[in-house]
Amino acid sequence: MAKFPNFLKPEAIPAKEDTPRFSRRSFLIGASAAGFTLAFTRPGMGFAAAVEAIENAAYEPTIWCQIGSDGRVTVNIAEAEMGQHIGTALARILADELEADWSKIDLHYVDSNPKWGYMVTGGSWSVWQDFKPMSQAGAAARIALIEEGAKLMGVPASQCRARNSQVLAGKRSIDYGEIVSKGDLTRQYSADELEKIPIKPPSERRLIGHEAKALDIPEKTNGTSIYGIDAEVENMVYARPLIPPTRNGSSINSVDDSAAKSVPGYIKTLVLDDASGNVPGWALVIAESFHAANTAAQKVKVDWTPGKTSGVAEKDILDHGRSLIEDPKSGALVVNDEGVDEAFSSADSTLEAEYITHGVLHLQLEPSNALAFEKDGIWEIHTGNQWQSLILPQIAKALDVTEDKVVMRTYLLGGGFGRRLNGDYAVPAALGAKAMGQPVKMILTREDDSRFDSIRSPSVQKLRMAFDKNGEVVAMEQHATAGWPTQVMVPDFMPEASNGVKFDPFAIQGADHWYSVGPHKLRAISNDLANETFRPGWLRSVGSGWVNWALESFMDEAARKLDKDPIDFRLNILRAEGRNVGSAPNSVGGAARQANVLRRVRELSGWGQQLPEGTGFGVATTYGQERDMPTWIACVARVHVDRGSGQVKLEKLTLVADAGTIVHPDGALAQMEGAALWGASMALHEGTELQQGQVRDTNLNTYTPLRMRDVPEMQIEFVDSTEAAVGLGEPATTVVGPAIGNAIFAAVGVRIREIPIRSEMVVEALKEMVY
Amino acid sequence: MTTEFVLNGQNVTVDVPDDTPLLWAIREQIGLTGTKFGCGIGMCGACTVHINGRASRSCITPVSAIKGASIATIEGLSANGDHPLQRAWIETQAPQCGYCQSGQIMQAATLLVDFPEPSDEQINQVMTGNLCRCMAYTRIRAAIKLAANEMKGEVSNG
Repeated sequence: MAKFPNFLKPEAIPAKEDTPRFSRRSFLIGASAAGFTLAFTRPGMGFAAAVEAIENAAYEPTIWCQIGSDGRVTVNIAEAEMGQHIGTALARILADELEADWSKIDLHYVDSNPKWGYMVTGGSWSVWQDFKPMSQAGAAARIALIEEGAKLMGVPASQCRARNSQVLAGKRSIDYGEIVSKGDLTRQYSADELEKIPIKPPSERRLIGHEAKALDIPEKTNGTSIYGIDAEVENMVYARPLIPPTRNGSSINSVDDSAAKSVPGYIKTLVLDDASGNVPGWALVIAESFHAANTAAQKVKVDWTPGKTSGVAEKDILDHGRSLIEDPKSGALVVNDEGVDEAFSSADSTLEAEYITHGVLHLQLEPSNALAFEKDGIWEIHTGNQWQSLILPQIAKALDVTEDKVVMRTYLLGGGFGRRLNGDYAVPAALGAKAMGQPVKMILTREDDSRFDSIRSPSVQKLRMAFDKNGEVVAMEQHATAGWPTQVMVPDFMPEASNGVKFDPFAIQGADHWYSVGPHKLRAISNDLANETFRPGWLRSVGSGWVNWALESFMDEAARKLDKDPIDFRLNILRAEGRNVGSAPNSVGGAARQANVLRRVRELSGWGQQLPEGTGFGVATTYGQERDMPTWIACVARVHVDRGSGQVKLEKLTLVADAGTIVHPDGALAQMEGAALWGASMALHEGTELQQGQVRDTNLNTYTPLRMRDVPEMQIEFVDSTEAAVGLGEPATTVVGPAIGNAIFAAVGVRIREIPIRSEMVVEALKEMVY
Repeated sequence: MTTEFVLNGQNVTVDVPDDTPLLWAIREQIGLTGTKFGCGIGMCGACTVHINGRASRSCITPVSAIKGASIATIEGLSANGDHPLQRAWIETQAPQCGYCQSGQIMQAATLLVDFPEPSDEQINQVMTGNLCRCMAYTRIRAAIKLAANEMKGEVSNG
């Protein structure tokens, strides 16, 4: 079986010259070099030959697509299909270079296998990360088809071109299907040769940037789309978990299932012993049907010794965060420019503020579930998942088998949003199947899923800014603390900051902004109480989401302090100089492109026009998820605040995004719509708090995400660009919350520094206003 | 306990305890998985089916309540997946992850029976019970209006 470098050790990846910051891009290039192997399969060519090609580290076009003798092209998709239509976007990229007839494209979502390289879907990375490999795969295949087509037609290849699944030479043509049947398409490319294959100029694109219907949609309208929860196999039994009082450290003393025995279909209750550490203190109730498992689970009595965090409340987590910030020795100095302290002590004036975010549930509509069984010596886990490469070794450890004995079978995801990056739910199903000696299908109820969620951690942040007598920004600090998902789940992924402390890049991204603020200090601090109390998770927009709640609210407060228009204030410090000038290929233009979207959103939104009493505009702008893969985005929110009730009505969102090349325009628009509404939902509608070591809200009776009637008017525009394609799954989430907070200030003069924003907070703040 | 009812036009019998939610009888005993489980308390709408032509939450409807009733699921909404709503859902590219969409479409189907030319406020009132966690609401609304227009055209064209 193919061997791959250990990607989990950042030292294995060449470091960027001048910065201690972790470069996700370096990591993914590493994955690309060894993992994106390509090999043609002709009918009859076996898997073993493809594996051999991989072992030789030679590139063959292409396992990323297979062409049948009927001319149909199957594009293999290793990403999780979870609403972003990623299969369609990636197939468009490949098919464009391949010069394939789009009507002949089929998608195949692959199961876990080392030949696909590192399998993870998240971070808004997929199109950006796969654009070049998919282009190269398509181009390499096209070249092979032209060469073989030319031979079959008896003409020189130089006289041929490919178009619409045909090789053409003057008036003659031959279909791809025929070439596959009759030609010899075996090719090998070294990494250097692959690099040299030219990719089409934008002017030659026939698919990328043009409209298309998403291939995964039709089955989602007629009940035939199959999610993990729909998986079935003969002889399977059902399971519902019994979840302990704390995420960590609880242990089972005894189980009394006497009352459950009267439930028809009840089989038994298993106490799990999990060597992988994912489900400490768990039991599984096993029955012939899910209803029986669910009913029986409510009658089984478990005596647990709870873990030590059983009394932890939200206030404890936030207060601990504050004390961590107050301790100058704590945390990682992610950015630590010289002269920050001096600039503050000699400043003409300074500004300081604290911001809070509360917990957020993923509440992906398909609750966590997995079907597990052993067949012919291989353990199969059937479930939707976003990070197979992370959890597969842990499943193997739990089962006490080698990794090559575990496969994760791929399904559509009924929502990911980062919940399914953490595949912990796969482990108990596997343990259940091993104990039962038959397939076990485990389904969590909504309450179970909420209690077992790896929530977006509550956070505390402190920001400071220093100004000179002319009102220019001369220094800035941001201190951010929360539970750290990467520390808890993938500690090897953490890079080291300049002061030798490792940090979670997904808990500080967004703070390393493109503003020219003079010397900048950025400190990221792990909230260890949070990490002990629950499993912090990656949730749509991760760090950029909650970091920008603080940063873009604070930018607004700075503008107000200086009596400047919030957009003008920001434009003045988006100077695209020094470290903010940007670089090829991913951030060409740097801060100038952020300024551009900010100007455009000002134009589009009606910023500056007179609004009725109690109504205001607020602005926010960010670079999306990653400094090395920026999606430039700006938002103006218009809100109306009812002074009596404190209720905030979001009337309109105007968003402008520069995401470089847009592969699938309508899919991109849909992601902007969904991500923006997630931002609105987290700002105004949903949130939870820790109490007694658990989340307070476990179902939709008290946890209230944004609904149809809450949707504002939305106007969304993309900048027309041929720059590198960057991400869109998350960026719009980062700007909406702070734009709303800033709009509330514009509307009624109160500054809310905590999300979710509740009407009681607004009423309270209005009462406290001093005129 | 056996319960008999009509499902998508066919007589069926399920042998499950009386308190079994219709949702699980449909998914497990009959094997139609288009109807989904989301919350178990009737507040997300993913489990929406038609009971005697009315949109209902099957996760909180025990089989004892539907003896002899006529049930329709998403699989039975049309013969070929081509109900005007289903075609409108594709035309507007409404689904993202798609998990809520069976319930959305089934709810919208009875909305259009009650309000053939629904206003935005009527759409809000009837559809707000269906959660779309991907927040594809804008397109769901557009699809409902598109289907309503088409069905109106069909009626007036005889």
